[in-house]
Parts: sequence; structure tokens; C-alpha cells
Amino acid sequence: MKKRPTRFLLLLVAVTSLVGCGRSRPALNIYTWADYFKPDIIRRFEQENGCRMVIDTFDSNEAMYAKLKAGASGYDLLTPSSYMVSLMHSQEMLRPLDHGLLPNLVHVDPEYLEIAIDKTMDHSAPYMIVNTGLAYLKSKVADFVPSWSMFDRADLKGRITLLNDMRETIGAGLKSLGYSLNSTDPGELGRAKEVVLGWKAHIAKFENEQYKTGIASGEFLLVHSYSGDILQVQRENPDVGFAIPREGTAISVDDLVIPKTARQVRLAHAFINFLHDPRTAAENTIFLSYLCPNKEGYALLPVELRDNPAVFMPPDLRAKSEIFADLGAANALYVKIWDEIKSAK
Amino acid sequence: MKRSRLPLIITIGVLVFLYLPIVILVINSFNASRFSTGWQGFSLGWYARLLHEPEIWRAARNSLAIAFGATAVSVIFGTMAAFALHRFARSRLQRFHYGLVYMPLVVPEILMGISLLMAFAAAGVRLGFGTIFLAHVTFCISFVAMTVLARLQDFDFAVIEAAQDLGAGWGTTLRKILLPLITPGILAGALLAFTLSIDDFVITFFVAGPGSTTLPIRIYSMIKYGSPPLINALSTILLAVTFTAVAVSQRISRSKVKL
Amino acid sequence: MKRSTRKKLQEALVSSPSLLWLSLFFLFPTLLVFILALRPANPYGGIGQGWTLQNLRRLTDPSYLEVSWRTLEISLITTVICLLLAVPIGYYLARLSLRWRNLLLMLIIIPFWTNFLIRIFAWKVLLHPEGLIKHLLVFLGLAGPQTSLLYNAGAVVLVSVYTFLPFTILPIYAAADKFDFQLLEAARDLGARRFQAFYRIFLPGIRRGLLTALLFVFIPALGSYVIPDIVGGPGGELIGNKIAQRVFVDRNLPLASAISAVLILSVLAPLIAVLFLQPKGKRPEIL
Repeated sequence: MKKRPTRFLLLLVAVTSLVGCGRSRPALNIYTWADYFKPDIIRRFEQENGCRMVIDTFDSNEAMYAKLKAGASGYDLLTPSSYMVSLMHSQEMLRPLDHGLLPNLVHVDPEYLEIAIDKTMDHSAPYMIVNTGLAYLKSKVADFVPSWSMFDRADLKGRITLLNDMRETIGAGLKSLGYSLNSTDPGELGRAKEVVLGWKAHIAKFENEQYKTGIASGEFLLVHSYSGDILQVQRENPDVGFAIPREGTAISVDDLVIPKTARQVRLAHAFINFLHDPRTAAENTIFLSYLCPNKEGYALLPVELRDNPAVFMPPDLRAKSEIFADLGAANALYVKIWDEIKSAK
Repeated sequence: MKRSRLPLIITIGVLVFLYLPIVILVINSFNASRFSTGWQGFSLGWYARLLHEPEIWRAARNSLAIAFGATAVSVIFGTMAAFALHRFARSRLQRFHYGLVYMPLVVPEILMGISLLMAFAAAGVRLGFGTIFLAHVTFCISFVAMTVLARLQDFDFAVIEAAQDLGAGWGTTLRKILLPLITPGILAGALLAFTLSIDDFVITFFVAGPGSTTLPIRIYSMIKYGSPPLINALSTILLAVTFTAVAVSQRISRSKVKL
Repeated sequence: MKRSTRKKLQEALVSSPSLLWLSLFFLFPTLLVFILALRPANPYGGIGQGWTLQNLRRLTDPSYLEVSWRTLEISLITTVICLLLAVPIGYYLARLSLRWRNLLLMLIIIPFWTNFLIRIFAWKVLLHPEGLIKHLLVFLGLAGPQTSLLYNAGAVVLVSVYTFLPFTILPIYAAADKFDFQLLEAARDLGARRFQAFYRIFLPGIRRGLLTALLFVFIPALGSYVIPDIVGGPGGELIGNKIAQRVFVDRNLPLASAISAVLILSVLAPLIAVLFLQPKGKRPEIL
């Protein structure tokens, strides 16, 4: 009986010593995607500002939102996608940005701002632009056409994946029919549903991340995917091709926002400003193979990115592509259709 | 009397089954390919990169600390619970108690995570290691209690009463009679609790606060933009360390027997 | 008089840590789930005011029945396979000497200290259409070149069995360890066949372990969603996926709570019946 308490106390001490450490510099708490900033850049910011960056990660916008809505707080900066930003803004969860602290925002590409949802960058600043498209194995897919109709190809049956994302996949259906991917018209949505149901018969599964490994290893031949991911895969497997469908596609943007409950507001602003320094923007772009819409940063990019249509969409394609808007109450319409798509045999 | 070889064969078969993915995992940690494209050449690059990833090490440390702590507390509480459930099984309180112990097994993790978060938020509790610890102990108690309870089946408390009649105090009874008899059950429960805690994602995700990341949370989010082979490397290191510890303790126990 | 109050005090003392802890950190949040199930949702992920039965009404949609049926099937198959494998292993473990026993136990559990996701990905490599296992099966004539080992119910069962196996082995081992194996020898001496002795003496002797093992697999399997998400096919959604979808995609926490409440109640109902519909003073069957 005497031995056990001491052993237990030792265990307790060991545990607490592993967990707690001294805190001297202010900490900037960021909640973001994993590996979303170049590590070098983090270190530079920490040194220049005498602070500590605490980076927590989430794996989906929805998970982050569910957590914040249920009451979690303590984060100073978030990187949600712009449709999520509209939702959070409508729920009054975000702070307006103080442009006095953000001189570098003048570098933001005005062409991007034209199609942006938060055009004046009132409560969000763009960080990375992602284009959705089709990735395919050049040697195995004959007669590839850059069009959403590729999902109709019965000869590829069982080797295709669609994104497991309600907006992306229903959106692809809408785009293939020439409609807007923010449509709330029940007729258009119904027709899009039929298209997606036809595609569903050809897919191996709905997949959001593992299509990268899938196409790189030859498990899949045609995947519904994001541009940056595929650019990274291409470095390893040059047989992988990527194309934006000619009917237009979805453009996703991840924005930098500051929640109302943030504590280190000045530091958060400083970081946003830092990210839009043209050199930093270019470095992050190269690191992720996505695109930071910083006009002065474009000039600092290597040729293979500047000339890549997956990164810089040709103007005619860009005119047909759209950014996701939050649907508000119409979300329920999409939910119903997605349910039907998911449960159909 | 011939003993059937079947249990041995099944055990070996299952061991092979259990280690198949582990072998793949270890091999891929040396694979230069980031996307497991196929063998891209032998490389120690992932291990080298691990040295420059303080976030991952911090998360691993957090996970281990929480797992040890939660296991310790849940083993104590869970064993006590099992005792109460077995010893006083006829009472109304124990029936309620059993229901309460059984329920955490039944509630889907997402809901448990969210409802815990809401409860913490309503009570104004700051999210962090404390909340993760509380959540882990909560679901571990049930698993430990049920496992120890399995061990206590048909356990006759007359042994305890006999010892006490012969003059043994509670301390001696506990140490020399009770605990040795149920140690395998406690060990099994502890292993279970540790395993559950170290791998928990859903509940931990919801109740973690800024800066209190655990390894599963880090890994889940790495799947999107990060490099999974880093985790293969980390897992291989963890496996190597654990196997070494087991081998060393086997050596020690063997030398003890010799003496 | 004194004996019984002392006994009651003992009972209260020994039960109190877990009772208090679970009541505070578990019962209260769980009640929240049941309360949420009766509240309306607003489209922005929040919870509305007032009470409503609309969530429960939505559960009568036939697609839920289908998903539930599929979930039940897969969970049952997974449970049966796990038990069939765990019992012989628990038997074997319990008969080993202490040193080998602990070694084997560690060997069994150590793979599960690597990360859950990484193990599933390793299975994806193993079951890859161009992988070794597939080639082997084609060579043996057990599969055609077009059959996919992944993205179907079989893959979900395989990975689920893999994931839940240690949770079945441990409680069965805990129970088997205390079993007196001489009873089996005695039975054999009396003329019983090997299997008879096993079935009529060993299994009842570890019945609590069996029940616990069953609970440790079946119930988590009912709620699992990551495994069908990663290795399941497009038509292979389980009830756990539905709950996850309601929470994250639909932002409909009340509906997710309603599904969970139904799930919880349907699993709890048999237990409550057994526990509370028995005469007071008699030891409940389940204990």
C-alpha cells in the first residue's frame, strides 16, 4: 500500500513535466490546414516579431465550423474557404480587418478581387486560390477531352473518383449543363442530380484526399481533383496530366480571417500583412503549388508555374468559372439532393 | 491426451494478419515516394525531415503524456467500479452504475465529442490538455471496468473475508491477495485504455484547445496537404522503441528466473 | 444492522469515483444529445428555440432503414469473425507460461500504437489493384483481373475486423486467464470429446469475457464512419457516415442527435430490460 502512492505521484509529475513548459513570448494561435505555410516563413515571422506561432490544424472547413459553433475559442487567425467565410460573417463570428495595419494588401491582384465575394476585403484577405479540375493518366486514358463529360466514359468504369464534397460534385454537374454552380433553381438542380447519378455508376468511390495517392500509383485513371495537389503529384509521376474543363470550373479560395474572440489582434494583422509581402507570397505559392493572388508576387514565380494553365487560368476559362458562395437557407436543397445521390444504388 | 493445434495455428495466423500492414508501413517509411506511387528508391529522407518537424514531436509527446495519465486514472477508477459492480451486484445502485459504465461504449464519438465541448463551453472551461484528459478518462473508465469485470466472473469474495478473519488488514489483503488475482485483468484493461487514448481522434478533436494538439489530430490534417510518409517514419521509430523495451524487459525477467 | 450499513458505506465508497466522474462528464453531455434531438435546427448550424418532433419524423425516411440494415449486417459479420478468432487466441494465451503470455500480449497490442489512419492506408496498399495480394488471388484463380479488393463491403469488414480484434482478444484473455483448465481435463477423463468440453465448459466459464468482447466490437462497429469512408464503396454508407454528414455537411446538429439518440436507445433497450426487469435482490443475468 505504501509503494503505490509514490509510484503514482511520480507518474503524475512525469506527466505534467512533459506537458507544461515556460511561456515568455506572446503566442499567436492559428487554426489552419496542415503544412499550409512554408516552415521558413513561420520562423522568419517568429524572429521578426518576437513571438511564438502555435499552429493547430483541422482537416475540413465543416469540422472547424462545427467546433467553433459549439463554443471553442482561443484562436487568433483562421484559414477557412470563402464560402465558409461568408457563413461565418453572416453569423457574426469575424472581426473586420483594420486596413491601416495591412499596407501590403495593395498587392492583392485586382482581377481576383473582381470575382471575390468579399471584394473590399472587409473581413477577409485571400491566401490561396485553388482550381478544381480533372487529373488523368496520360498513357492509360485514350482520347482525353478537357470536359466534365469525361465522367460519362464507361470504359473507365471503376477507376474514376469524384470529390466527396456536396458543392464540388453537384457544382460539376451544374457546370456540365452550363448552369451556375451557385444555382438555387430546383429544375437546374434536379437535372444536375441526374447527371451526377449517371457519373456515380462509373466511380470507384467518392474521395477528397486519397485521389493523390490513387492516381500517382495507378489505382485510379481519372480523378476529380484540386490543382495544387496534382502539380505536386506530377513532380513524382510525370504521366499524370491535369486539365480544367472547358465548361468552366469551381474556384476555391482560402481566406485569412480573424475571429471575434481573438486575443492577439495586432499580431494576427501583422501576420496577414507579412503573408502578402510579394516575396513571402511567391514562396508560399511555390511551396504549395497553389496560387497566392499577390500581383507583385507573380513576377517572382518560376516559369513552370507562370505558364501553367492549371495555376493561371486562361481568361476565357476564368470567365466561365466561379467561386462558391454560401447558399444560406438554400443549403437544405443541396443537402436533400446530395442525400439522394449518396443513397442511390 | 493430444492437445489440439488449432488455437496455436489461429494465433500465428492472426499475428501474421496483424503485422501485414505494419510491414508495409515500415517499408514505405524508407520509400522516397511521397504518394506511395510504388518503390521510388530507398531513402532516409523522411527520417531526416522528421528531425525538423517540432510540431510532430510536440504532438507525439502530448499524446503519450495524456495516454499515460488517462490510463493511470481510468485503471484506478475502472477497477474500483468493477469491484463495486461484482461485489454489490444485487443492489439498485449497482444496476444504475452498470448502465452508466456501459453507456460510453454506446454513444457515437462525434456526438460525445460535440456534447462534451458544449458542456465545457457552457461551464466556461478553457479547452486544453485538461479537457482532453477529462474526455479520455471518461471513455477509458468504461473499457477498463468491463475488462476487469470479465476477470471477476465467479470470483468468490469468501477468499477476502477468510483473509480478514485471519487478521489481515485492508492493505495486506489488497496487496497480497486481491491484486495478484486480478492483475491480468487490470493489465488487459490498462493496455486497452492506453491504446484507445493514444489513437483517439474524434472526441479529442472537439475538446482540444489551441496549442494542445495530439498526434491523431496532426495526422488527420496532414493527410490533406502534408506528407504521410513522415508518419510512417515516426511510427517505425515508435515501433522500434517499443519492441526494444519489450525485448529488454524480457531479458531482465529471464535473468530473474535464473537467479 | 451495523453490518449492512457498513456494507452500504463500503459500496458507496468503492462506487463513488466512477459514479461521480461518469455522471459529471458523461451523463450530463449525453442528456444534452437527447435534448438536442428535440430541438429545431437553423440552417447556419445553430440550435433553434423551442421543441419539435420534426427530427424524429425525418428519421422515418426509408433510406435510413436501408442504411441501418446495412450497418447491422456489417457489424454483425465483423463481430462474429472477431469472436471466432479471439476465442482460440484467448484460450491459447491463457495456457502459456506467464513470461510468454505477456510477450504475446504485447506483440498483439503493439501494432495498435501506430496510427489508425496510417494502418488503413497500409491496407489500401495491400489491397491495391496492382498489388501483391491481388496478383496472388488472380494466380490462384480466386479473382478476375477486374475484381476490386477495395471499395466494397468486404474491404470494410476486413479492415473493421483488423481494427477491433485487439478489443475482443483482451477481455476474452482476461476472463480465460482465471479459468481452471483442469476442468477441461476432468471432462475429457469423463469421456467428453474435445469440442464438447470446449463448448460446454470453457465458453460458459468465460461468458462475461465473451459478452464484453461482443460489446467492444459490435457497438463501436455500429457507429464507425472512418473505415467505410476510406475503404467503402459509393453505396456503402453506414449510419455513422450519416451522422457525420448531418453534423458537418448539413450543419444539422439536432438531426444528428436524433439519429444518435435512436441508435443509443436501440442498443440500450435490451440492457435496461435485463437490468431492471429482474426481481430486486437477485443478481442480474448480465452480471
